[in-house]
Amino acid sequence: MHKRSGDIKDPTPTITSRYSYGMALIRVEDLVKEFRRSERFPGFLGGIRSLFTRQYTVTQAVDGISFEVDQGELVGYLGPNGAGKSTTIKMLTGILVATSGICEVGGITPWRDRERNAKQIGVVFGQRSQLWWDLPLRDSFLLIKRLYDVSDADFRATMKTFTDLLELEEFIDTPVRQLSLGQRMRGDLAAAMLYRPHILYLDEPTIGLDVVAKERIRVFIEELNRAEGTTVILTTHDLDDVERLCRRIMMIDHGKLLWDGDPESLKRRYAPHRELVVRLVDPHEKVAELGLAGVSVGDAAEGATTIAFDPQQVAAADVIAAVLARHRVSDISIVEPELEPIIRQIYADRAVAL
Amino acid sequence: MTAVAVPRRARLRALVGIGRMSAQSLITYRFNLLFGIVSALVQIYLLRVVWHSVYHGRSTVNGITLDVQVAYSSLAAVQAWLLSPGLLWDIPQRVRDGTIAMDLLRPVRFLPQAFASQVGGVLAMLPFAVVALPFAVLVGGAVGPASTPAFFGYLLGLVTGFLISAILNLIVSMVSFWTLEIQGMLMIYRIVQQFFSGALVPLWFMPGWLHAIATVLPFQASGYTPLAIYVGRVSGGKAAQLLVEQAAWIVVLWLLLRLIWSRALRRIVVQGG
Repeated sequence: MHKRSGDIKDPTPTITSRYSYGMALIRVEDLVKEFRRSERFPGFLGGIRSLFTRQYTVTQAVDGISFEVDQGELVGYLGPNGAGKSTTIKMLTGILVATSGICEVGGITPWRDRERNAKQIGVVFGQRSQLWWDLPLRDSFLLIKRLYDVSDADFRATMKTFTDLLELEEFIDTPVRQLSLGQRMRGDLAAAMLYRPHILYLDEPTIGLDVVAKERIRVFIEELNRAEGTTVILTTHDLDDVERLCRRIMMIDHGKLLWDGDPESLKRRYAPHRELVVRLVDPHEKVAELGLAGVSVGDAAEGATTIAFDPQQVAAADVIAAVLARHRVSDISIVEPELEPIIRQIYADRAVAL
Repeated sequence: MTAVAVPRRARLRALVGIGRMSAQSLITYRFNLLFGIVSALVQIYLLRVVWHSVYHGRSTVNGITLDVQVAYSSLAAVQAWLLSPGLLWDIPQRVRDGTIAMDLLRPVRFLPQAFASQVGGVLAMLPFAVVALPFAVLVGGAVGPASTPAFFGYLLGLVTGFLISAILNLIVSMVSFWTLEIQGMLMIYRIVQQFFSGALVPLWFMPGWLHAIATVLPFQASGYTPLAIYVGRVSGGKAAQLLVEQAAWIVVLWLLLRLIWSRALRRIVVQGG
């Protein structure tokens, strides 16, 4: 990425992807989306006044973000509600026109050439459907075959794969309006990928689904990415989706990119301590201070003591050895940090200096 | 990346596909279709009773015989049902629930999609209209076309009339991009459209000033014009002139639709709907 020096317009440093080498599949640079909402005055007379005055409030839904995504990446795009996630996705898909900045997907500016862009992307919005409500699911697939000019042979092969992976067989002849949310979602996923686009955008694909349905969808996404190298950009509030699927996380808030990197370094950065949970044979005994740098022993709760340690300063094996040397231990385990509390904390802090 | 533009033939096939899906969706609601036909038949019967009473034994009023008048109202009712604005591809609904975003993501432009859908809808209704026709004749009445050219003029007028009403439907439903409170407006539109198309009272029975208004409006195209040609009220050069006027309306309204759509699209893509 080339960062222009001496750019006065945007003094805050932009985060650029460390994943960029060669020609990126998706290239976004200083992308901005402003919404102008006309001011509404309260009351009936105010309503009339709104008709004649032109006062706008300008909000920056996306405020100068830059990143690149390469072929085959599986990116989790996270952020609290109203952070600008969906707006970004809408610009990437070509539904929205950016106010300024560069956005190129496969060499195309999506909103300039919607029809060409449509052929290279698949889109699933968890909250809306592209399927024909009144007709059997199969009919929607046949229409998509026509819309995207898929050959008979390709269609048959793809349908066979998807039917197996998503278990569509049992409801493919049911009208879409009679499908459960999970079934409809599987139908929508298949519809979005029937013409084998290189890129799949998923906007909250697992929202409102039960555990089994979520799992099926995750397996499908994983399989597409692994077997076909489909590039996936996923927005979700379900961090299990991210833990399970994504090798890269982009976090956005107030229209700005807060973090761009792999989940492990995110954890290292925001949750540097690992935890060792120890149970002693004698439940009344207390775990002594270990005298090691970077280790702090917490209070015992329900017979278990949590020992936090910094893996940069001390090895897990040394901490365990120190505990075993002092106590008779009935159970010991290392707890890996989870993404969930970390993300929650970042949302709570809102402004993170990087 | 090598994304290739959609070739023309593939695009046509895609549009045929969309039309077919609309047709199938429409037929899913069999009872809606049935009730539509029944209400058309009721209207035909009631108008027949009214016209018999209006004529009160006179053979012609204003140069129109009772038989022609009853035949007119019978055909007009079937025609109005066939081309009814109830066929609107539900743009307001798609705007409300956000499906419109999915439409924009298709490799085919939005207006052709919407139009294909309307064509599909009418083609789906056509067989039902043909089946309903004998019943319409039974409860109402019928006369043959005034001449062979009149019959073909009628068919041509039906096609242009459909195109005009389809474009008008799309124009009106585009208002939903600016306001979601569109139901009241649609109702007014339907009443105005129905009245000025001559579906209830033919233009030849309208007082001079009302007739003048109806003549300059495009609505007559889907009702009165083809029927006036069919029964021979207008023929020859006058009929040809009406058809040319309809063709001109198609061009004007299509351009208007495109203008409104480009504003609507701007609204979605710039202001986020």
